[in-house]
Amino acid sequence: MKETITNYIIEHITKQKVSGISEDEDLLGSGLVDSLGMMKLIAFIEKEYNLSIPSKDMTVENFMTIEQILNYIESIK
Amino acid sequence: MIYTLHHIIEEASKSAPHAIAFSCLNKTLSYSELELKANQLSYHLISVGIQKGDRVGIFMNRCIETAIAVYGILKSGAAYVPLDPFAPISRTVTIVDDCQIACLISTPQQQSKINTLVKSVPRIKNVVGCEPMVGPSGTKWEDIFAQKATTAKRIEILEDDLAFILYTSGSTGKPKGIMHTHYSALSLAKIVVDTFDFDEDDIFGNPAPLHFDPSTFGYFVAPLVMAKTIIVPDAHLRLPVSLSALIAKEKISVWYSVPLMLIQLLQSNTLNEHEFSSLRWVFFAGEVFIPKHLKALMEVWPHAKYCNLYGPAELILCTYHELKETITGEESIPIGRTWANTEHLVLNEQNQPVRNGETGELAVRSATLMRGYWNNVKLTEKSFHRIKIANGYDHIYYRTGDLVKLNKDGELLFLGRNDRQIKLRGYRIELDEVESVFLKHEKVLEVAVVIIALEKEAQELAVAIKLKDDSDVSEAELRQFSSEHLPAYAVPTYIEIFDDFPRTSSGKINRRQIADIIDQN
Repeated sequence: MKETITNYIIEHITKQKVSGISEDEDLLGSGLVDSLGMMKLIAFIEKEYNLSIPSKDMTVENFMTIEQILNYIESIK
Repeated sequence: MIYTLHHIIEEASKSAPHAIAFSCLNKTLSYSELELKANQLSYHLISVGIQKGDRVGIFMNRCIETAIAVYGILKSGAAYVPLDPFAPISRTVTIVDDCQIACLISTPQQQSKINTLVKSVPRIKNVVGCEPMVGPSGTKWEDIFAQKATTAKRIEILEDDLAFILYTSGSTGKPKGIMHTHYSALSLAKIVVDTFDFDEDDIFGNPAPLHFDPSTFGYFVAPLVMAKTIIVPDAHLRLPVSLSALIAKEKISVWYSVPLMLIQLLQSNTLNEHEFSSLRWVFFAGEVFIPKHLKALMEVWPHAKYCNLYGPAELILCTYHELKETITGEESIPIGRTWANTEHLVLNEQNQPVRNGETGELAVRSATLMRGYWNNVKLTEKSFHRIKIANGYDHIYYRTGDLVKLNKDGELLFLGRNDRQIKLRGYRIELDEVESVFLKHEKVLEVAVVIIALEKEAQELAVAIKLKDDSDVSEAELRQFSSEHLPAYAVPTYIEIFDDFPRTSSGKINRRQIADIIDQN
């Protein structure tokens, strides 16, 4: 799951040239993911893992790093 | 007496030393801490050879150190140049070269980008806040703050000295540097404080990055009344649910952002979940606020006062319109009247004032007017409208390029542009610059950038490309190429390759028809 999400960000979202993203990197603060990118990422996660993410859960606490995203997905599965 | 921007915090640190000046996430700076740390940074800068009039870059995202960098650089006698860490490296290199920056202030988070940057620009000799792997010497923040800050020589700084340079999109494809002096920026702060009822109990929300002129509100206006500024972190700005929680938690009383950010807050459906009773003022600028959204916002936050601000970065701001009563949700919001120390003209194509109610270009004369564009006298002169009073004495107006007219209440209405500059989600973009970037690609023959707008609030940039004979290039490659030269917000959403362009009878590219074609696809 970690690899799938990391690869999706690298291949489809970020406009920067990066080879990898560490689990605790601030995706939003580093500019890897912008607002539109975040919407794309959330749509991807919903489709890929057959989830429905309520808008109230789209918070810094749940989506700032890949680690937080993984924890969040586990928590709502 | 306050004559320069850094006098603001020198005064505040005497009157209210323990009051919080800036806060970002769990970090805070009181006025006395800010004064001390800014002094320490300025002594360091002077010790590495920074002289009055030099330019020092600030390469940081939104964080508490931005405040120390701004005031530390000003105290050293240099001007600060904010560099957007999210911008493509080639654009940053262009700016660093254009205004000859030899010193950068940064943070450890920017380490990898700083490494790339210093490799491309050998002129950078010093970096504060992170240590580059190669090249210039780096000094950690801890070492700056460990210095004894008492022995440095005092620099005499005048209000006429350069304070900062803001780079913005230039139609030739090269960004242009808007120079503001201590006088023009301090004038802005004084006028704003004079116009509205801010005081030391206010808490300003500052979402603007340093390279956007609205940051002058958080960094200079708030300290002038000894209020607190909350620097909104990047992550919160991209997740409206968290932004809404932050505004409530920090008890922000003065908010200033582009309308889009407020619309996103509204659409996050969280404004009923928190307590926003502290919010007194909501300011917006940068683009037209669609009245139906503003009306909805005013219904959710009925206790706040609302004010439309207007001004190109060359003037920072120059007009305001406070919404006194509920709005219909249909009529467009005026940009209002010019404020103190400011006057305006509405000019026709012959540079003569139009009659009341007629449309013309807005030209503004103000204490907040920029000094000019960095190293570009020709462009500066072109942007000024001079009225000669006597030999050697002119009244200088800035030509905004914005078309306006007076409504029946004597307030200015914004009607559009007289050139190809646009505002997209609050960002200022020159369509000619976007075209010039694509033209740099070796396989591209002709380019037309257009705006696709199904609705006013859903505008997107699109580009039509005609390739040179026998050339082949993918849209993905063109996208990658443009994102290496343009800030992300100026990279077109749609890139389409055309065999040939539709043309008007005079042979010009028919952009309207291109927009229709792309729109239908």
